[in-house]
Amino acid sequence: MSHLLRAFPAFLRVSIQAMLQYRGEILLWCMWGIVNPTVLYVMWSAATRGAPDGKIAGLDQNGFAVYYFFLLIVGHLTAAWDVYNMSYLVRKGQLSPLLLRPILPMWESLSSNLAYKITTLMFAAPMWLVFILITQPSFQTQWWQAGLGMIALLLGAALNYMLCYTVALVAFWTTKLDAVGEIYFGLGMLLGGRMAPVDALPPYLQIASEFLPFKWMFAFPVEVLAGMRDDVHAVTRGLLIQAAWVMLVVLVFRISWHLAVKRYSAVSG
Amino acid sequence: MAQIEVEHLGKTFKVPEREAGLVASIGSLFRRKYRDVRAVDDINFTVEAGEIVGFLGPNGAGKTTTLKMLSGLLHPTAGEARVLGHTPWKREADYLRRISMLMGQRSQLQWDLPAVDSFYMHGAVYDIPKADYQQTLDELVELLAIGPVLKKQVRTLSLGERMKCEICASLLHRPAVLFLDEPTIGVDVEMQARIRSFIGQYNRKHGATIILTSHYMADVTALCKRIIVIDQGQLLFDGSLPALSEKMAPFKVIKIDLDAKCDDYPFAEIGEVISCDDRKVELKVPKAEAAAATAKLLTDLSVLDLTIEDPPIEDVIKQVFGGRAQRDDAETTETAGASA
Amino acid sequence: MLLFARISVQNFAAYRADFFLRGIMSLVQLAAELIVVDTIFHNTETLAGWRLPHMLVLVGVYRMVAGGIRIYIVPNMRRVLEDIREGTLDFVLLKPVNSQLLVSIREFVFWRITDLIYGGTAAAIGASMLAKDIGATQIATFVFMLAAGFAIIYSVWLALATIGFWFIRVQNIEMVFWNVFEAGRFPVMIYPYWVQWSLTFLVPLAFITTFPAGTLLADPATGVPAAAPYYAAGIAVVSVLLSSWFWRFGLKHYSGASA
Repeated sequence: MSHLLRAFPAFLRVSIQAMLQYRGEILLWCMWGIVNPTVLYVMWSAATRGAPDGKIAGLDQNGFAVYYFFLLIVGHLTAAWDVYNMSYLVRKGQLSPLLLRPILPMWESLSSNLAYKITTLMFAAPMWLVFILITQPSFQTQWWQAGLGMIALLLGAALNYMLCYTVALVAFWTTKLDAVGEIYFGLGMLLGGRMAPVDALPPYLQIASEFLPFKWMFAFPVEVLAGMRDDVHAVTRGLLIQAAWVMLVVLVFRISWHLAVKRYSAVSG
Repeated sequence: MAQIEVEHLGKTFKVPEREAGLVASIGSLFRRKYRDVRAVDDINFTVEAGEIVGFLGPNGAGKTTTLKMLSGLLHPTAGEARVLGHTPWKREADYLRRISMLMGQRSQLQWDLPAVDSFYMHGAVYDIPKADYQQTLDELVELLAIGPVLKKQVRTLSLGERMKCEICASLLHRPAVLFLDEPTIGVDVEMQARIRSFIGQYNRKHGATIILTSHYMADVTALCKRIIVIDQGQLLFDGSLPALSEKMAPFKVIKIDLDAKCDDYPFAEIGEVISCDDRKVELKVPKAEAAAATAKLLTDLSVLDLTIEDPPIEDVIKQVFGGRAQRDDAETTETAGASA
Repeated sequence: MLLFARISVQNFAAYRADFFLRGIMSLVQLAAELIVVDTIFHNTETLAGWRLPHMLVLVGVYRMVAGGIRIYIVPNMRRVLEDIREGTLDFVLLKPVNSQLLVSIREFVFWRITDLIYGGTAAAIGASMLAKDIGATQIATFVFMLAAGFAIIYSVWLALATIGFWFIRVQNIEMVFWNVFEAGRFPVMIYPYWVQWSLTFLVPLAFITTFPAGTLLADPATGVPAAAPYYAAGIAVVSVLLSSWFWRFGLKHYSGASA
């Protein structure tokens, strides 16, 4: 553990330096996280104009501005992408040097995940401000909601990161996992409250989202931060469900990592 | 005390068969045929602390597979191995901290950052005490003469410079056992010599046990007192260099200096003529016939000087492996990897 | 051409898991887009005048165009950028064929054809739901609009690839493109006026998805101007000429720099 406490900051420092080397690329990467929610916001606010009472799932135009503003932030801070680059690491044999180290390769990946979020903040935060300036939302978030919302955001980020990394381990069995990545990402989009708030989803999607972890990654933190959840108990229960999901995924990760390394050391190395 | 003990070690890969042609490749979508490839087949050896052992063999012989098993990257399908008292493929952190594996074709350095940043990270990952780290780094930087390139982005380094940095990273935690897989691949001749001399120096100074594979004979002949020859997964020879020539070379080279020019003498009947330059003749003669050939030459001709030598090691190896040493396709068995 | 297709079939049959996955993936992607449409009209009657059948057509068009880009434009332009970076573009320039033509037809990602089929089907279903007669002229105009849209996208990509002559590290240019293209999922009429204007004239995205879909429907409710085909023809010709000129200009710079 003390070993990890020393290694992780070193990873983080080096990752940040590496990210700064790629700043151009990273900004483009980051742009998608801005464009997609913005387009969806515009679409939904156009849709409210066609809705009977100007409201969709209880949200009017302003409600959508607030919702998508927080989704910009939550989407950025919960981002995870190992499912996309794990297959590259495995195929190119880049994983071997990582496995020779006396430390779990996941820590290095986590450090570059954090490094990305830290370094791109300089770019993303101004864009969030621009979003506010253009859409002029009025916020109703209370202090307790902001506080618990941040915890929900942290848990959401942990959940997405861990699940994404665990799903990425499929790379050890199949050569390309672009498709797995797309499905993972698509489910997050459809069921996680990104394409539309969960309450606006048709019933079959709402049911699916109940049983899958995606809405606990994105929708829940956004709803709490946006002040859409008024019941303290319900929010606390939500936090507990998030924590339970995180623990479950960590457990699954530990088992699958063991199997993945076994597989790797049977066939490639 | 033996640091590395290998008993009946074996590794069999299942490789999907791929047939040529459109119909066959569509057919293979549904039903795949697999073929067993024995990359390593029942290998036994032990290595004592402080030894440098060279692995020789053509591509695909199983050298890299063996090293990967010893470093814990691959799980064998048969046999046992103990390195420093550990079973490598259990991949215990305590074991990984005491070894190093350098893969010539794979980088452990951060491509876009100066090497010194990778070293720093390495220090933290291996939990090297600060003072030790600085001391080791200074020493390695000096020995390898990489001071000037430490602060340059790794991607801008020449292959030789990069390789020296890779070596430096591999040694920062002072591994007791070092696996070097093609440490000089693609590097120019002068740099090869420097890397070679560094490895020798390091071994003498720190007593690290080293196993080395290389395409370049010179690496092996210069560094290794002991050679292990592997071909098609099997151990063909384990012993010293002279013993290798003795055992593997089925012929001797007879060199004679003649008193007078002797063009019409039928040298070709005695052995294969390697060169015939005025009054100096070199003949390749099967080992068993060397004595008889010498006697015949001495009686037939007026010889000023005659020596019987072992052929150069390169020729021996070439002889042993035939043309296969040049063939690269066998390599696929080693990299077949996760494609299954 | 046939030989290329054959080799790429073989090549990719080698990746077994991919073969099935990709076939299914195109379908899944379409399904996801349809789910988005369903979600929208679960909550509202119209989206800036577009109703469910209209949106189905738009989804179909979006899928077809995205498919076309991935089948043929992106792979070729990727290869150009790679060639510029590695200096292998010289081999192209040595061939006695028009360089622009040659770099535009070297690659072909055949399995993406499924996108055309699925997209076409979605558009056809949407159009038939309107229970209105769609005449041959309308279909011809629609095909023409698609072709014009495709020509515009091709030009945009050629221009993006040409930028590679000056800035080597532009691999991520693709990302910029998809970012902007993302906005074409929905009718441009949902955007504020200034964005609409920019998407019509500055970055002619409207001509690529919204307008072709609108011409097939020929429904004034969609807000697509009746004169759209004329504009499309004009913009397509101008962008093809401009990008071709830019390519030649870039080539001059390239041969000048590498000499």
